[in-house]
Amino acid sequence: MLTYVARRVLVAVPTIFGVATVIFLLVRLLPGDPARTIAGVLASQADVERIRHQFGFDQPLYVQYVTYIVHLLTGDLGISTRTGAPVREEILTRLPYTLELAAISTVISVLLGVTLGMIAATRRGSPLDLMISALAVFGLSMPVYWLGLMLIILFSIQLHAFPAAGAQDPLGFVLPSITLAMFSLALVARQARSAMLEVLGQDYVRTARAKGAPMRRVLAKHALRNALLPVMTVIGLQFGALIGGAVLTETVFSWPGVGRLLVDSIFSRDYAVVQGVVLMLAVGFIIVNLLVDLLYAYVDPRIRYS
Amino acid sequence: MPISKLAAFAALVVAVVACGNGGAGTTSTTGTKHGGTLTVAIGIDPDTLDPAAQTTTTASQIVDMMVERLYTMDANGATQPQLASDVPKVSSDGLTYTVPLRTGVKFSDGSPFNAAAAKQGLDRLLNPGTFKTQPGVLSVIDSVTATDDKTLAIKLKSAFAPFVAALTQTNSAILSPASLTQQGNTAAQVKVPVGTGPYVMKERVNGDHITLAANKDYWGSQKPNYDTQNIKIVPDDPSREALIRSGGADVIVAPPLSDLPALSQDSNLKVLKAKSDRTLQIIFNTVSTSQPLLQKPEVRQALNYAVNKDEIIKNVMFGNAVPLDAPMSKTLFGYCSVGTYAFDPAKAKSMLQAAGASGMTIKLGSPTGRYPQDIKVATAVASYLHDVGITVQGPQTSDWPTYLGKVNVPPAQAAFDAHFLGWAPAYLDASQQFEQFRPDRIPPKGLETSYYSNPTVTDLINKAAGEVDQQKRKDQYCQASKQVWQDAPWIFLYNQSFPIVYTAKVTGVSAFPNEKFDTRFASPA
Repeated sequence: MLTYVARRVLVAVPTIFGVATVIFLLVRLLPGDPARTIAGVLASQADVERIRHQFGFDQPLYVQYVTYIVHLLTGDLGISTRTGAPVREEILTRLPYTLELAAISTVISVLLGVTLGMIAATRRGSPLDLMISALAVFGLSMPVYWLGLMLIILFSIQLHAFPAAGAQDPLGFVLPSITLAMFSLALVARQARSAMLEVLGQDYVRTARAKGAPMRRVLAKHALRNALLPVMTVIGLQFGALIGGAVLTETVFSWPGVGRLLVDSIFSRDYAVVQGVVLMLAVGFIIVNLLVDLLYAYVDPRIRYS
Repeated sequence: MPISKLAAFAALVVAVVACGNGGAGTTSTTGTKHGGTLTVAIGIDPDTLDPAAQTTTTASQIVDMMVERLYTMDANGATQPQLASDVPKVSSDGLTYTVPLRTGVKFSDGSPFNAAAAKQGLDRLLNPGTFKTQPGVLSVIDSVTATDDKTLAIKLKSAFAPFVAALTQTNSAILSPASLTQQGNTAAQVKVPVGTGPYVMKERVNGDHITLAANKDYWGSQKPNYDTQNIKIVPDDPSREALIRSGGADVIVAPPLSDLPALSQDSNLKVLKAKSDRTLQIIFNTVSTSQPLLQKPEVRQALNYAVNKDEIIKNVMFGNAVPLDAPMSKTLFGYCSVGTYAFDPAKAKSMLQAAGASGMTIKLGSPTGRYPQDIKVATAVASYLHDVGITVQGPQTSDWPTYLGKVNVPPAQAAFDAHFLGWAPAYLDASQQFEQFRPDRIPPKGLETSYYSNPTVTDLINKAAGEVDQQKRKDQYCQASKQVWQDAPWIFLYNQSFPIVYTAKVTGVSAFPNEKFDTRFASPA
C-alpha cells in the first residue's frame, strides 16, 4: 500500500510541472496587453510602459518562464498584478469560502442523494420513484445561474428569509450551497438508484431475505456498502466539477471564493493569479483522486494495490 | 415574578430595543439623524485603495471617503478647494502655483496636516518606485516645495492651463506620512489609506466587503452621519438589484437598465440619474485602407444622419442617456453646443450616393459587458446602417481586454472599420476629451483609435493647453469642437447617465458628474 501511495506522489510531481508550463503558456496566448489592461484606458503611454517594466512583462518569454519556475520551486507563486498582494495570500483568503460551499454541497448531495436514490430503488416503479427521477433530471438540466436567481427571488426578495448576496450574513451560505449542490445531488441520486437496483438483484441479498433478515438490516449491512462504490467514483469526479460550478454560483451570489477570483483575474489579465489558482486546482484534484482510490481499497476488500 | 413587575420589565425591554436598535439613531439639534450602518453595493472589487494607483472611479470613490486632496470637484463638477484654503496664485509664466493650505486639520491618526505632508503626497505619486503609480497629466510637475507650514509651491515643466482641475483627481490625494509605516503599509504600496476624510477603514474582506467607520473628528462643516458604511462587492447587476429589493442594501449603483422604469415606480426606492462625463460613440477608422470611402468626411457625416440616436436612447438605453450636441459631455469646461445630426435616412442615402458610397461594407466591432447595453447599442446601429444600404459585418465582439487589444493598435493593424467605445475624462476639462482628436495620441502613443488628424484642430488644442485667459480657452475649444463635429470622425451617439438607486430610509445621497456616488454625508431619513 505504501509503495502505491509513494508511486502516486512521485508521478504527481511531473504532472504538476506540466500543468504549470501549460497554464503559463495558455495565459500568455490570451489576446490583450496586460500592462494596458492594468493601467486602464485613460493612462498615458509613459505610465503603461512603467507598469510593463515594473511587472517584468517586457522581459523575453524564456526569462519570464525561468523566473516563474524557480519561484515555484520555493513555493512562491508570485505577486498579483491586480492588487500587489502575494498570490498565495490572494488564494488563501478566498479558499475557505469556496471550500465551505464545496463541503456543504458535498454533504447535501451525498446524504440527500444516496437517501433519495435508495428510496427510489426500493420503491421502484412507484410514484415516489418517478418523482425522484424527475427531480434528478431537473437538477441535471437546470442552469446554475437561473436556479440561483430563482432562489434569490423566492427566498430573498419575497420571503426575506436568506440574504441575496455576500458572505457577511451568517446565513449567507444557504442559498449558494443549495444551488451548487443541485447538479451533484441529481447525479448522486441517479447513480445510487441504479447501483442499489443492481445490488438488490444479487443472490446474497435474496439469501439474506430468505434467512428472515428485515429489509432495513439487509440494506444497511449488505446492500449499501456495495452500492457505494460507483457512487464514490462520482463524488470524486464531482469535486472538480464543484470547484468549476462554484464560479457561476459565486458570481450570482457574490460569494468571495476562488472561482470568482479566477474569473476576475482572467478579465484583468492577472497572469500570476490565474497560474496560481489553476495549479492549486490541479493539486487539489490529484489529492482528492488519490484519497478516493485509497478509500476504494478500504471499502472493497477485493481491491489490492500492489 | 408578580405581573406588575413583569409588565414593567417587559416595557423596559421594549423601550431599550426600540431606542438602541442600530438604524433609527438619535436626532441632533439640526434635525439630521445619525447612527447605524449604511450598506452600499458596488460592481467591482477595488484592486487597490492606494490613491496613487487608482485607475477606476469605482475604487476611487471609496478612497475619496477616506483621503482628501488639495482641490476637489463639487456635485456640479466645479473645482473647489478641499485641503487647500483658496485658489492658488499662478505666476505670470504659468509655471509656478502657490497653494495656500488649510490649517488646524488633522489626519484620522492624529498627525497634523501640513505642507510637508502635502509635498510627500505629490512626491509619492511622481516617484516611479511607487507600485502601479499613475501620475498621468500630473507628470507635468517638476518639483514640489513646502515654503512654510501652510504654503505649497508647485513648479511645472511647462505651462498647463487645466492644472488645478487636474489636481481634483484621486491620485493626488494626501496620505498621513506617519501611516506609511503602519498597518502593513509601505511608502511604495499602501493597503490601508489614512487621510483627513470623514471615514476611516475598519475592515476589508477581499471580494466581499469593505467596512468604513466614521471619523468623529472630521474637520469639515458637514459631518459623517452613519457610524459605519458597509461597501459590499456585488459584481452581477441583477444581484445588486435583488439585494436592494430584499433589504440587503440601502444604496446600489448601476442596476440592469431594463429594470429602471420599474424601479422608478417602486415607492420604497428612489432613482438618481446622476450625470456622467462619458460619451459613447462609434469611432471610424478615418484612414482605413480596407474601406477607403471612410476617409471622406461626407461619408462619415452621412452615417451620422443614418442613426436614430433618440430611439436608441429610449428603447435600448431605457432613457438612461442624453443625446450629444458636441464631441463632449455638457459638464466639461470648454463645452459649447455645436449642432445635431438629426435622424434623416433619406439625406444619408443621398449623401452616400453623391460620394459614391452606396452599399459600402463596414466591419464593426463592439465590446460586451464593458458599457451598459454596449453590444445591443452596436447591434442597433448596425441595423440603422443596414437600412440605408450599408453592409455591416458584425458587430464582432469579445471580452474587454481582448477588444481593447484589437482597437488599441497602430493604423496598419486596425481590425475594424468602425468600433464602439466610450470616453470618460478623469477631470472635467475639454483638454481631456480632445485626447481623442489629436494625432500625437495615435496608438501606441495614446488611445486615439480614430487616427483622426486635422492641423486646425491640433493647432487650437495646443494653444488652449497653455492659454491662461479662461474665456479665450473656452473659445478655442469651442472652435475646435465645431471643426471636429464637421469632420465627424465618430458617429456621435450619447452621453450616458449613471443610475444610483437608494431606499426611502436614506437621504443625502449625492453624486459627482464623473460616475462617482457620494454617500459621505448621507443620513437616515
